[in-house]
Amino acid sequence: MARTASLRGAIGGFGGGTVAPSRFADYDEGLVWVSVLLLLIGLVMVYSASIAFAEGSSFTGHRPQFFLVRHLISLGMGALAGFAAFQVPMDKWQRWALPLFLLGVAGLVVVLIPGLGRSVNGARRWIPLGLMNVQPSEIMKLLAVLYTADYTVRKAAVMHSLKQGFMPMAIAMIFIGWLLLREPDMGAFVVVVTIAMGIMFLGGMNARLFFGLIVVLGVSFTLLITFSEYRRIRVIGFMNPWDDAFGKGYQLSHALIAFGRGEWFGVGLGGSVEKLFYLPEAHTDFLLAVIAEELGLVGVLVIIMMFFWLVRRAFEIGRQALALERVFPALVAQGIGLWLGVQTLINMGVNMGLLPTKGLTLPLMSFGGSGILMNCVALAVLLRVDYENRRLMRGLKS
Amino acid sequence: MMNSAPSPVLQLRLPLWRSRMMLAFVFAGFMTLVGRAVFLQAWDTDFLQQKGKSRTVRDIEIPAYRGKITDRNGEILASSTPVRSIWAIPDDVKASRDQLRDLARALDLPVDELDKKLGDTDREFVYLKRQLPPEEAEKVAELNLPGVFQQREFRRYYPAGEVAAHVLGFTGMDENGQEGIELAYQQSLAGKNGSRRVVKDRRGNIVEDVAGVQAPREGKDLALSIDSKIQYLAYSQLKQAVELHKAKAGGIVILDVKTGEVLALANLPTFNPNNRNNLTGQQLRNRVLTDSFEPGSVMKPFTISLALDEGKITADSTFQTAPGRYKIGTATISDSHAMGILNVSQIIEKSSNIGTAQIALKLQREDMWNMFNRSGFGTAPQVQFPGAVGGRVRPAKSWRPIEQATMGYGYGLSVSLLQLARGYTIFARDGDIIPVTFQKAEGPAVGTQIIAPQVAHMMRGMLELAAGPHGTAPRAQVMGYRVAGKTGTAHKQEGNGYSHDKYRASFVGFAPVSNPRLVVAVMIDEPSDGRYYGGDVSGPVFSSVMGAALRALGVAPDAPMKPIVLPSAAEQVRENT
Repeated sequence: MARTASLRGAIGGFGGGTVAPSRFADYDEGLVWVSVLLLLIGLVMVYSASIAFAEGSSFTGHRPQFFLVRHLISLGMGALAGFAAFQVPMDKWQRWALPLFLLGVAGLVVVLIPGLGRSVNGARRWIPLGLMNVQPSEIMKLLAVLYTADYTVRKAAVMHSLKQGFMPMAIAMIFIGWLLLREPDMGAFVVVVTIAMGIMFLGGMNARLFFGLIVVLGVSFTLLITFSEYRRIRVIGFMNPWDDAFGKGYQLSHALIAFGRGEWFGVGLGGSVEKLFYLPEAHTDFLLAVIAEELGLVGVLVIIMMFFWLVRRAFEIGRQALALERVFPALVAQGIGLWLGVQTLINMGVNMGLLPTKGLTLPLMSFGGSGILMNCVALAVLLRVDYENRRLMRGLKS
Repeated sequence: MMNSAPSPVLQLRLPLWRSRMMLAFVFAGFMTLVGRAVFLQAWDTDFLQQKGKSRTVRDIEIPAYRGKITDRNGEILASSTPVRSIWAIPDDVKASRDQLRDLARALDLPVDELDKKLGDTDREFVYLKRQLPPEEAEKVAELNLPGVFQQREFRRYYPAGEVAAHVLGFTGMDENGQEGIELAYQQSLAGKNGSRRVVKDRRGNIVEDVAGVQAPREGKDLALSIDSKIQYLAYSQLKQAVELHKAKAGGIVILDVKTGEVLALANLPTFNPNNRNNLTGQQLRNRVLTDSFEPGSVMKPFTISLALDEGKITADSTFQTAPGRYKIGTATISDSHAMGILNVSQIIEKSSNIGTAQIALKLQREDMWNMFNRSGFGTAPQVQFPGAVGGRVRPAKSWRPIEQATMGYGYGLSVSLLQLARGYTIFARDGDIIPVTFQKAEGPAVGTQIIAPQVAHMMRGMLELAAGPHGTAPRAQVMGYRVAGKTGTAHKQEGNGYSHDKYRASFVGFAPVSNPRLVVAVMIDEPSDGRYYGGDVSGPVFSSVMGAALRALGVAPDAPMKPIVLPSAAEQVRENT
């Protein structure tokens, strides 16, 4: 880490270290290592959380390594995709932002077509493509970052205007939001809207309008919950899980028990009891609960710190790009930071009973092919922004 | 920092404070998470862990082995064998049709019944089949179906079956005594279950032990006073008689005169304790202990011995019983036929109601009540057996003379057969009464003196005559042994009065008279093949059981081995009913 710190000092005067670079690295090693660490801890914890479930289920053929193997494949594909994405210059990403976005929208439409999309537990979220199931909503999160950043750059001159700056984007988001809620995928909806709003705000959107919108969104969110039983049930379960602990509060109550059992240092890797068929979705949405039980408060705090470090680094890279007058990469980097930050916040908040339960995974860690793949690509893009920053600072072409 | 070298234009368009503010919001969010995590994992842990324990920690009983019940010679009457119950979590059972068919076959259940049990997916626990022998349960285990589990249990087995059913009683599915000795000695037989505190996963698999294993305290074995051989004799003879006389029911009890031990106790109708489907209350009734009835003439010896003991009469006192009817106040009592002047011995031998009534009227009613009471009538016997009744003897104050007279010969009060048998130990012993027990006794019993030894001796002589060729029960005689006893043929109560064609035929007696060893009491309820006298119906049962039992016990004969003399039909003395 010392080397990373000195590097950062060298790059932009961050942290106030002495500026005496002996060599430049081509990429942000710290970012890579934190990401790899999170991915690997996720791998171990997915295996730990799923082993009993996999062994006890007939659809896995009672193979305890069922999820481990699939998660490993996801990581391998994520590494390949990330490596490929890193090769793509940012101006190419910008040029392809709109077509990619439209492709993503097409995916969201396809998944809703009966026969093409596959539904699990009442949610139509996957397109089966032989080798793996693709989850268009996961892809949409990154595409929303790219597209909104590009949009904001293109409309920079009119971003303060409601009609010209905000409305076209709002219409696009309402359409995408409608598609996502049709699946339904409430979690992805919240993340995508947050990304779009956040990037427009960073890109100069009228502040009064922005905060006004937050109020409007808050109100409409409340209405959505009031008028949809599916969502309302999820909200009631979270308000007080002990009232109906064996009904609607079942999942959350077991997640909270897992936290309580973990105490300071956890019951030890593999020692979770809650993962033994008590806690549903232990290896996906509720992975943090298993981490909390097995690795304790210390483990949870380390994970939280790593995620915050990641988000903060993304914002730093973004601001660095901004300093280099590279607006699109700046917005993309911060958008990715916002995405990872918000999704982590929501997932962890859900695990700890601070937010209503919604289908959101813990980035980089939870089981889920499309999610892991797109997280890797996003980090690669983030690294690419940083890489181009470094090259520019060394006086090279981006 | 960053804002050290921005261009003014850019700063205007992309204000840095927005980026900082956004990061600050994210930071605030993460700090909230940190605070919540600290609360959950360092503060609220007791509450959460308690909630967790209530869902995951289970106490598993380790069943204590229930004690064996043996007869006095160590022969097993009840023992527990390990069995297994098969249960399932319907929602977790994932099986193909073929597997389900195999499971149904292994369980010996129709497939649709199995489907029905597994169709109840709301339930977390369904018994598929209880108490399967281990080898059959092993076949189920080999199918290795998820969601199907086994539970180790014990099943009670009664080798003697229906023969000793009423003595032993039985246990329920959970091995708790429900009737008879099984219930009476529940605590010592059952022992105390041990327990294991474990963490279970949601499917019921044990994950780990969380507390030391509490070993079970095994139940104690119990040796009964019952002698299997005599029990079988008593049961089979009673059964024969009940069938022969087309009777509704019957009971027999055999006591050891020296120790007060119950050597045999049987009832009909009975049941098979190993298969208790379709049990009726009639089958379950332990008539010997739990039914009380008007005994009739078998009570006469108590009245007469009291009069003798108090010196109100002597063996030579005589009583005019002619012309077979006798007025007491406004009521008239009668003998079956006029017998003229009888001495005390003849009153017993011929079972004269009129004679006994005259003797009874010589007594103070309080003294009579005391005699009955001290002989064990009207109070529940001091025997550890559920449901043993005390019968009813009304307070002496309320007796009118006619009632005092009829009570003297066994009407107007109710007793159980066990009480009668125990009461007769007064005559079989030297005037003292002993407690009865179902447990094997270590030594002779200590009695309570009721009447003088000489009076008891005198009574033995009179009762021997009653069971002799000229008495009311010549068929009670046993080849090789001198026997003594008294018949009872009581009209059954029906509505407010007495039925004229429903009887209870009883005989209580003991042998050998020279040194009594056993008391046998027999009661046959509603014989309906025409014969109903105690001497004809219960006497033969007494005879065959007593003879065989004495021989089985190796009791030395005290009479010559010559055929029994039975009177001709014309000479037969009928007792009064």
